[in-house]
Parts: sequence; C-alpha cells; structure tokens
Amino acid sequence: MALRLTVQVQLVVQALLRDPAREMYGLELSEETGLQPGTAYPILLRLEHEGWVASRWEDIDPRAEKRPARRYYRLTAGGAAEASAALAGARRPKSTALRRLAEGGGTA
Amino acid sequence: MTLRTMMPRTGLEWVEKLAGAGMWIAIGASSYLVSTRPEWKWAAAGCIMTLAVVSAVAGIPRRLAGRRLVLRKGSGLSGRGRDDGDGSAGQAVRRWRTLAVVSRLMPASAGRRWLGEAESLLAEVTPARRGAAVRSYLLSAPRLAVMMWARQLLRRLRPGPRRPG
Repeated sequence: MALRLTVQVQLVVQALLRDPAREMYGLELSEETGLQPGTAYPILLRLEHEGWVASRWEDIDPRAEKRPARRYYRLTAGGAAEASAALAGARRPKSTALRRLAEGGGTA
Repeated sequence: MTLRTMMPRTGLEWVEKLAGAGMWIAIGASSYLVSTRPEWKWAAAGCIMTLAVVSAVAGIPRRLAGRRLVLRKGSGLSGRGRDDGDGSAGQAVRRWRTLAVVSRLMPASAGRRWLGEAESLLAEVTPARRGAAVRSYLLSAPRLAVMMWARQLLRRLRPGPRRPG
C-alpha cells in the first residue's frame, strides 16, 4: 500500500530530510515538527514499514545515564531519495495548516 | 536491550491469549446453544470455566513479573526524577500502568516497542508537556493497535521472509 503524504507525514519527512544522515529520536522529532509524540509515532512506523526510515534502540546503560534508551530514526539511502521525490510531487502544506498543527500539537 | 526488562514475556503468554480468545468464542457459542440446544448448556459452561481457569493460571507469571517491575525502584515512570513538578509519584505510576495496559491491545512485540518508546519519551519531556504527550499516545493507541494487528495478520498470511519487529 502506497504511503499517503498527509500534512503530518510531510512534516516528519521534512524534519528527517533536513539532514538525512542525522539520527533523530522521538522527542526531537516531535519538537521539530510540532506534532504530538502519539501522532508522530504511527507515522514513523509507517515510514519504517515502507523502508524509508530505519530505526534502532540507543545502546546505553539506562542506570548510568539516568534515562531510558531512546529509539533513533534516520532516513535510509533509498528512503531519502524517495522522500525527496514524493515531497517534490506532493502538494505543499499551506502555512495556515502548519501553524494550526504547531499550535494544536497535531493530535490525530 | 532495555526493552526486555520493561514488559516480561513468558512462555505462557500465548496460552493465556489463546485461552482468553477461546473463552470469548465459547461464550458466544454457548449463548447460541442455550437458545437452540439447551441440553448442551452444561458442556458449554464447563468449557468456558476451563478456559477461564487456564487463562488465569497462565497469566500468573506475567502478572507477578509486571508487579515486580512497577514496584522496582527506578523502573517505569515511578523512577526518580519522573514525577517532579508533575503531580505525585502515584500519578506517574498510574500513567505508566495505563500505558502498559493499553500496550496489550497490540501484538506483543509492537506493544513492547510502543511502551518502550513512550517511556523513553515521557522520561525526557518537560513536565508541562507530559500530560498532553500521554494523552496523545493513548488517543492514537487504538488505531495503532488495529494497524499492527492487520500488519501481523498480513505477514502471517503472506508467504516469504518475515520482517523483524
């Protein structure tokens, strides 16, 4: 099934595309896109299922770091190319829609 | 991997799930049988009782392990530093328990990952945003559960190599 490029999906993909080599974790992505984490998570899962995104658990000792391990996401090589092409072809989200999302936290 | 410590998986988990599902099917079948063949009602009742007992007994190790995890110092949202400025520690534990219960709507591996991700994020999010973050996780959970079960079903039906996670 083809991935539907909703405004929220575009926001997540754009955030990841800013630096395709950089790994981002859930909170970082949520802050960068203005989406609530509960909204961003299913999107990341779908992107991962499509092969656009790869993820991994951070390899740390939670007791030493005093926080749980993060799940890091990054675009795959093929995913970055496909995402750029898809975004170029997609209708750009209107600035009002983006503003509303950022204000409302993009709750699904 | 830290995820394994959050929601223990026991070998009896499948027995518990199958017995639970079987119990609901037996309840449905028995309500039909009572109206059509009353002589079968005792067999149906016995079947339901047996499945309920099997499900309850198979779930004991999981429940005990879950309780130990919640009570363990530094585990889940009850850990130090998770409740500062965001209500009592009890509130944080309740939130984590709610997330843990909701994660059981999903297939086991997907539920563990969702809970792990939620726990990781909620540990770092500012207290002011924590409530909204929990709500957003809870609101998106049913749809996510449907999506994950559908994916699991398709993966089982479709021949060929399976993707992990």
